Amino acid sequence: MDGIDDLMARCTLRDQRAFAELYQRTSGRLLAVALRIVRRRDWAEDILQESFVSIWHHAPEFDRVRSAPMTWMTTIVRNRALDWVRRPRHETAEEDLDGLAETWVDEGPGPLDRLTSEAGGRALAHCLGELPGQQRQSIALAYLHGLSHSELADHLDQPLGTIKTWIRRGLEKLRGCVDAIETGGRAT
Amino acid sequence: MKITDPKARGMLAAEYVLGTLWGGARARFELWLRSDPGLRREVAHWQQRLEPLSATLEEVTPDPSVWAAIQRDIAPPARAPAPAPERGGWWQNLAFWRGFSLATASLAAVLFGYVALTPADHSGFPGEAMVVVMADPQTSAPAMTVAWMPGDPGRPKLRVKVIGHQTMEPDTAWELWMVPAPGQSPRSLGLITTHETQTVDVPAELRAALDAAAGLAMSVEPKGGSPTGQPTGPVLYSGQCVKI
Repeated sequence: MDGIDDLMARCTLRDQRAFAELYQRTSGRLLAVALRIVRRRDWAEDILQESFVSIWHHAPEFDRVRSAPMTWMTTIVRNRALDWVRRPRHETAEEDLDGLAETWVDEGPGPLDRLTSEAGGRALAHCLGELPGQQRQSIALAYLHGLSHSELADHLDQPLGTIKTWIRRGLEKLRGCVDAIETGGRAT
Repeated sequence: MKITDPKARGMLAAEYVLGTLWGGARARFELWLRSDPGLRREVAHWQQRLEPLSATLEEVTPDPSVWAAIQRDIAPPARAPAPAPERGGWWQNLAFWRGFSLATASLAAVLFGYVALTPADHSGFPGEAMVVVMADPQTSAPAMTVAWMPGDPGRPKLRVKVIGHQTMEPDTAWELWMVPAPGQSPRSLGLITTHETQTVDVPAELRAALDAAAGLAMSVEPKGGSPTGQPTGPVLYSGQCVKI
């Protein structure tokens, strides 16, 4: 996302116009992030609102050396969404996840194609593509839908231990693969 | 308890970011995070590695009410209200006008002294001059003078003197107002600085009203001037117009 760095830098200087533009550019993606996890539009919009208020107030503390603005903002939204679905006696919103599981397990064109438009995405897309389908699927469902190990086990109809192993092995391979690409990219 | 095994630390950080670390384990991990910069770096790396996954989602445009609510939430707290703004403002307040006349009366001597002792200023006024000595209401001491030549065609040029080395609060502006008659709404003559001598060009269409004005006042406004076209901040100085 070009220009987001500049907008965030201006937000740290309390520039409300830059903040409005930042919202305009990123709110569609961030609402999608929250909506996938909490699965109800009104809840997701509440989370988006709280997150942007927090982004505004904490912008001066944002450290661009440690993270990219989009990563920082996504983390704020995801953490709020995850806290929301994990709160005690959480009222759940029903959503059919069956179709989604398939898209991540198959090779070939799918959600991974959409990753290649961004620099960081190309490495991740390549490395996710290298994983066995079930590991890729478990990681994607956990990250995007906020599913726990046991929810994944129910959903994918696998023993809990198998799910934990898929995730752990998948993450280990992912780390090695992405870091190798990024280090290589920096060297050239 | 501390986790020292690098492999275990890396995996906990990964599962924390992925979202599969739940309940007590997540809460404990967040506690460790606070006191462990290395662990925070590990988490930041995982956030960076996985975040591009969000780009696979179709964007969802939020309802416009969300942005409206955000703007409301981040608005700075309302400033202390200006004196009785909802009922018209200080220019409709009888006490203000009473003080205004009193201050002016006590300044008559100062006024004549000022004109007589500044021949350079006087030379610019071949005929009549309008002079306003604006006083600090707390001390009744003159704080500012404004003079111009009445009846001239074209844009009136106000010669403004700020007495003493005064300072302006950051992010505020000093706005000069003409009060046409007691009870009437003030009209802006523009922003002034704290410089000792300065000239303010007034729009030609205000000429007639300015020459007949009852008095002038200077209020403290937000940077850039009053957002409403009427005084919104406190009046620092005010004075009656006198023809000499």
